[in-house]
Parts: sequence; C-alpha cells; structure tokens
Amino acid sequence: MATTSKALEILAEASKSLVNPALLDWKKQGGKIVGFYYDYIPEELFTAAGILPYRMRATGSTGTELSDAYFSAINCSFVRHSFDMLLRGSMNFLDGLVVHNFCDHMRRIYDNCKVTDSITSQIPFMHFIVLPKKRGDEQVAHYRSELESLKKHLEEHFHVQITDEKLSEAIKTHNTTRRLQREIYELRKREVPPISGAEVLAVLVGGTAMPREYYNELLGQLVEDLKVAKVDATKPRARLMVVGGGAIDDPRFIEVLESQGGVVVTDAMSFGARAISADVAETGDPLSALAHYELFDRTPTVRLCLTSSERNEFVLNTAKEYRVDGVISVATNYCDPWNFELLNTERYLVPKKVPHLALQCEYLLSGVGQMKTRVQAFMETLR
Amino acid sequence: MTTATEPMMRGVARFHEYTDRVRGILGMLEKSPNPNPIQLAMLRLLLANEERILDCAENGKPLASIWYGNAPEIFPAMGIQPFCPFDDLKVHLELTDYKDLKDADKHPLPADVCSLIRMAAHAVDEGLVPTPTVMVAMTTPCDAQLVLHELWTNNSAWAKVPSFVLDPIYTSTPEDYKYFAGEIKRMIKFLEEHTGQKMDLDKLRDVVKESNLQYEVWNEINECRRAVPCPHPSFLSSDLGWGITEHFVSGDPEGTKLLQMILADAEQKVKEKKGFLPEEKIRILWADLIPTFTEQLGGWLAEEWGAVVVQDFQGFTSHFEPIDTATEESMLLGIAKRSMNSAMIRQGRGHVDVLINDITRLVKDFKIDCVFFPGHMGHKDQSASVRFIRETCRNLKVPLLAWTSSNFDPRYLPMDQLKKKISEFFEATELGKR
Repeated sequence: MATTSKALEILAEASKSLVNPALLDWKKQGGKIVGFYYDYIPEELFTAAGILPYRMRATGSTGTELSDAYFSAINCSFVRHSFDMLLRGSMNFLDGLVVHNFCDHMRRIYDNCKVTDSITSQIPFMHFIVLPKKRGDEQVAHYRSELESLKKHLEEHFHVQITDEKLSEAIKTHNTTRRLQREIYELRKREVPPISGAEVLAVLVGGTAMPREYYNELLGQLVEDLKVAKVDATKPRARLMVVGGGAIDDPRFIEVLESQGGVVVTDAMSFGARAISADVAETGDPLSALAHYELFDRTPTVRLCLTSSERNEFVLNTAKEYRVDGVISVATNYCDPWNFELLNTERYLVPKKVPHLALQCEYLLSGVGQMKTRVQAFMETLR
Repeated sequence: MTTATEPMMRGVARFHEYTDRVRGILGMLEKSPNPNPIQLAMLRLLLANEERILDCAENGKPLASIWYGNAPEIFPAMGIQPFCPFDDLKVHLELTDYKDLKDADKHPLPADVCSLIRMAAHAVDEGLVPTPTVMVAMTTPCDAQLVLHELWTNNSAWAKVPSFVLDPIYTSTPEDYKYFAGEIKRMIKFLEEHTGQKMDLDKLRDVVKESNLQYEVWNEINECRRAVPCPHPSFLSSDLGWGITEHFVSGDPEGTKLLQMILADAEQKVKEKKGFLPEEKIRILWADLIPTFTEQLGGWLAEEWGAVVVQDFQGFTSHFEPIDTATEESMLLGIAKRSMNSAMIRQGRGHVDVLINDITRLVKDFKIDCVFFPGHMGHKDQSASVRFIRETCRNLKVPLLAWTSSNFDPRYLPMDQLKKKISEFFEATELGKR
C-alpha cells in the first residue's frame, strides 16, 4: 500500500529483527524482559510486574545446526530455529522465559533449556505453565492456579509486587492494544484497504517487542494515519483471508500471498484476529478474568479439544464480514494440530462454496516460487 | 470421504469380515495336531470382543469410542462396550498385507502425521468402524491423538455423537491425580446422561479386582523376563498384557486366565533356567511402544544375533499399584493413577524426567545390554528428547541405537534397511561378538 506513516515504519522495522531501538532503550534503563511463546500466556502479568513481555520469534535465524543435537528433523522448524537462537545467545537480552505445553515440540524447549548451562546462565528465570487442553470450569480454576504460581515466581525472582490494582491496570492497557488493533482491522473492510496484510502482520509482530504504552501510542497514530490515508483507487484482484498458527510471524510470507494481485484483508491467526477478537473482563478478580479469557472468551485455539466448530464459524463469519473471496490456510510441516485444522477448515468451507487453499510451509520463508504458483492458480479459480 | 445413510450400520460389513477371518483361523488352529494354547486363547478373546462390538452396532446397544488410558474399568461397570477405532484395523493388518495402511495413503492428511493416526482417520472417514453411541477422547499423550478426535467430530456420521474429553494434567502430583479422578467422575456422569446406562459400583469393584489381578500377573510375567536368559521371545508380554488390560474389555476373567497361562510357562522356564534362545547373547530395551512387525523383527534378532527385546515401554508394569477397592473415591483415584501412567501417556505426557527415569530403571532391572530408540515418527515429543536419551544411555554405559521409523508402517524404514542398521550397530559396539 502507498500509505505513509511514521508509526507503520517503526513497527515494520521492529518486525524485521529480534531487537529494536525501543527495546534496547528499555534494557539500557534497567528494564527487565521476559520471553514467552505464542499468545497463550497473559502478557498482562508481566506488564503488571513492570516487565516487558516479549513474544518469542526466530526472526533472522539462518540454520538449526546447534539445536539439531536436541531436536530431530521431524520436529517443527519454528521450535528448532527458536532453540537454536537461544543456544547461540541471540536471545540474551531476555531476563526470563516462560514455556508451556501447547504442543509436543514446544514443551521440550523447557526441558532442553533447563539442562543447558549456556542458556540458564544468561536467562536465569525459567517457568513452565501447564495449559489445559479442554474447556470447563475445572480447567479455568486449574489455569488460574497456574497463573497464580507464575505471578508468585515473578514476584520472588524480580522482587516486585503484582497487586490486583496493577493487574487490573495492565488488563486495561492490553485491552487498549486489542481495541486499537481491531480499529485497524475495521479499516481493512474498505473496498481498497489502506494497509496490506503483510503490513498488518508487521504491526502486530513488531508490537510484541517493545514497551506496551509506547506500542499503544504508535497504534493510535497509525489508526489516525490510516483513516486519512490516500490509497490507490484500484480494487484488489481478490480479497483474501489467512488462517494459521503462531509460527506465522514473517510479513514476507504474507507478501508472497499478496504478490499475485490479491490483498489479505483479514485472518484467523495467532498474530492476528484470533488474538484480538475479544477483551479481558475489566471487573472482578483479575487472575480469574485472565484464565476465563484464555479458555472461554477469546476464539479458541487448536489446542483446546473439540472446539473446531467454533473456529470454523469464526472463519466463516469473518470471511463474510470482510467480503473475502478466498481463504488460505497455512500449517508448518510436522505440526499435527495445524495440519488437522487445515483439513477441518477445508471440509467446513468447501461445501459452503468458500474457495480454500491449503498450504504447508517451513518456518523460514522458502519455496517462494512454488508458493506463488499455487496462489496464482488459486486466484484463477476465484474469478 | 464417504457418508453412510445408516450411521449405526457403518463398519458392520467390516466387522463381519473380521469375525469371519478370526473364526476361520481359530477353526484351522483347533484342528491342528498341536495348537498353541496362548494363540488360541488370544484369538478367542479377540473374536469375543469383535462380536460384542458388532452386536452393539447392529442392535443399537451402547458403544463407546475410547482410546487406551481412558479409564477402561469404567465401561464394563456401566454395561457399555468400549472400542478403540484403530485396534481391529491394527490387529488385522498383517493378515491382509497391510491393505488398510496402504489405503490410508490416500487420506488428505500429510505423510508426516503418525501412520497409526492416519489409519484411524481413514477408518472413520471411510466407514470402516461403527459409529459409536458416545465418544470419549483424551488430550494426551500426543497432539495427533487430540486432533484426531477433533477430526472425527467433523465427519458427518460422527458429528452428532455426544463427546467427552478427558484432560489429564501435565504433571503427576497427588493433586493432579485427584483432579483426573474428578475428570473420570465427570465422564461417568456424561456416560449416564448419553447412554442411559448407570454406574454399578459393585460391578466396578468386581472389574477393578479382576484388573488388579491382571496387572499383578502381568507384572509377575515381567519379573520373569528379568531372568537371564529371558524365558520368552521379544515383545510377547507387552503385546498380550497391554491388549488384555487396555484394549479388550477390562476385567475379563478370560484375559486373566491367558496371562496366568503365560506366567506359568515363564515361571517353569525360569525355574529350569531355560531361555527362549538356546544361547542368549544380547538383551535389548525397546524404548517406545512396540511395533506392528514384532514377529518378523523379533524372529530375525533371535536367529541372526541371539538377541531378545526383553522389555519396552508398553510392557513396563513395575510402577503400577493395585487399586484400593474400598470406596468409590479410592477406586476412581486408583483408576486415575493407572490411566495417567499407561504406556506412552506416562512417558509422553509430562516433563522429560519420567522418560529418563524409566529408561534408567529398565536398563538396570532387566540387565539391558543396549537400548533401541526407534524414534517413531508420530512421537514428536520423544524426537525432541533425543539428547536426553543419548545422555542417559551414556551415563548408564549402555550403547544406544537411535533412528527414525514408524512403529506401524514397515514401509517407512524397510525391514532390510532396519536389519542392516542393527547389524552394523552390533558389529560396531562388538555386542555381536559375544
């Protein structure tokens, strides 16, 4: 898109590498940074502790030579690249790391980190959170107790106090983020969206590596810039939607999907609509609100057993809302949850005459030519 | 994907095919001059189970789709026939030149998904199994198992099957076991609501007493396998013990009799210091579930190298405790502990420590000479634990042979290549020179 926005430039730049000026400034001023995987650990807890929450990526990784001694070739490439960067010391700006049992690959990052001196010596705070894999009141209670343990561990290790007031304030801050992000999504409903899908992913990714208040400021500026942006009058060749998991964090991947004349106008992604579709309740016990949000309020993740019908409906409703011409689902190789989800989505959408393309890929952008050909062929079917 | 107009009749033809086949084999064996009593008893158990599933499918009796580790004692106590949709397909694979496995290649799931899970997905899509009255899923031990159940609920024939999910906690503290006992209690309520069957606590007590006995006998068989030389061939007790306790109807006295028969034979052989092999040279730990091609591999190991797989994760029973039958709570808690420690659910569910400790204990208890880690392509958590397995074996000073294969698809690593790999390993470690 031709939109000029300083905020967009800053966020796009931040998505291209692991660190950015705002993150370095924070660190320079003695601020603490704790990494976490995917969007299933409430960032609000870190914000309330005065810690910068950092969503783990492997941006810039070029190989898995070091992590190959720990993981096999049949493990997900995001996990292998991410662990490789931990081994290389590329993540040494972190003061802590929180891992969970989202999937069979990721949960072993914790076990492997714990016994690797080169990592624990640089990242002294390590915590494992048990995520429930089904919905229910008992699971909310259990997850709340897990959050309570994380809160206690953070307080002890970083010598901070996370009061209910601070937590409620953090919830409001993060709800502001989600609200502003949704405003950007609203603007994508226009005939000619003022921002491309690749740019939106950059905005969402870049924001997970900087102080939250600053990110909200940038988002606010970006919303204003987009509202008045002068855009190319040509309608996109097709309005596309992307469905996928937490390993899709490279805007260049979306660029490839958009390279054949289509524009990604919405998504059901972890860095995307699935993570911002609802707010955390701002009243009542804040830890309970966070636990309830994860299991009930937000669009469910593939980890939660027997929730695909809800995700399918989310995809269909979103596609209708954004007048989508075709849906592209993406899964990383060896990722069972997402490869099954691709099939579930396809079997749901195709009988409803929603065109669907399923793509498998590696974490690092590769096979671009082949992918372009498949997207081009898909676009032909949308005519 | 096929759709059936009569959902309850799905899979019926296939199960008739199974029962006809098993009856035929049984008939031939019974007429043979020296029938193997263990083989006969096992086939009779299999036939009885398949006939019960067929009866449910044809006559609308309550049938529950389950998976191993799903508290198997509960179902017979409620008069519900359980079945795992891959079990019978798996049993009949070798008898049908792996036809279902080959057919499952056409399934749209990618080839890197566990071969067993793909086959189970194919089975439901193609109507090779009956549509159950209810479905119980478990969220562990692997991602694929969880999403397989999700996929089934998206099949038109299964879409309206009421479903319940058991979610064991990642760790194994006393509180976690209590939580899972609560999950089982909620499952009972669900089963009562959707099948019309009621929990009979006296019946549950009887089932648990019998299954306690089965675990005790199975464990004694394994105790005998500690002897040098090992009295029985590779994988034998793992295959039968797991089948009887987890895959057929729990607490069936006929299953107990079969295990007792094997135990008597094992004890006799240990007493006589008589091994399965005339000269046992190499004792192997198979650090995973056992493969479908046990006979072929076990036979070759014995003949070519004087080697025997004396233990594996599937047959590891020393950690099981008898369930206290005093009260409902004590029974549910015991069932919860047992289920959360079932093979693979035990090693694959939580942190890697359990895997390390189990390998360590098995190597010591069974006087293991080397460890085979077959790296089943479906067990992605184990593939992310290779460094731990290497280190554990190094500390124990036992050679390790690790590779990537499929426990359920012999085409993934063809047998001749596997044999070559094993032979080179035995030569390099000099185990073969014994």
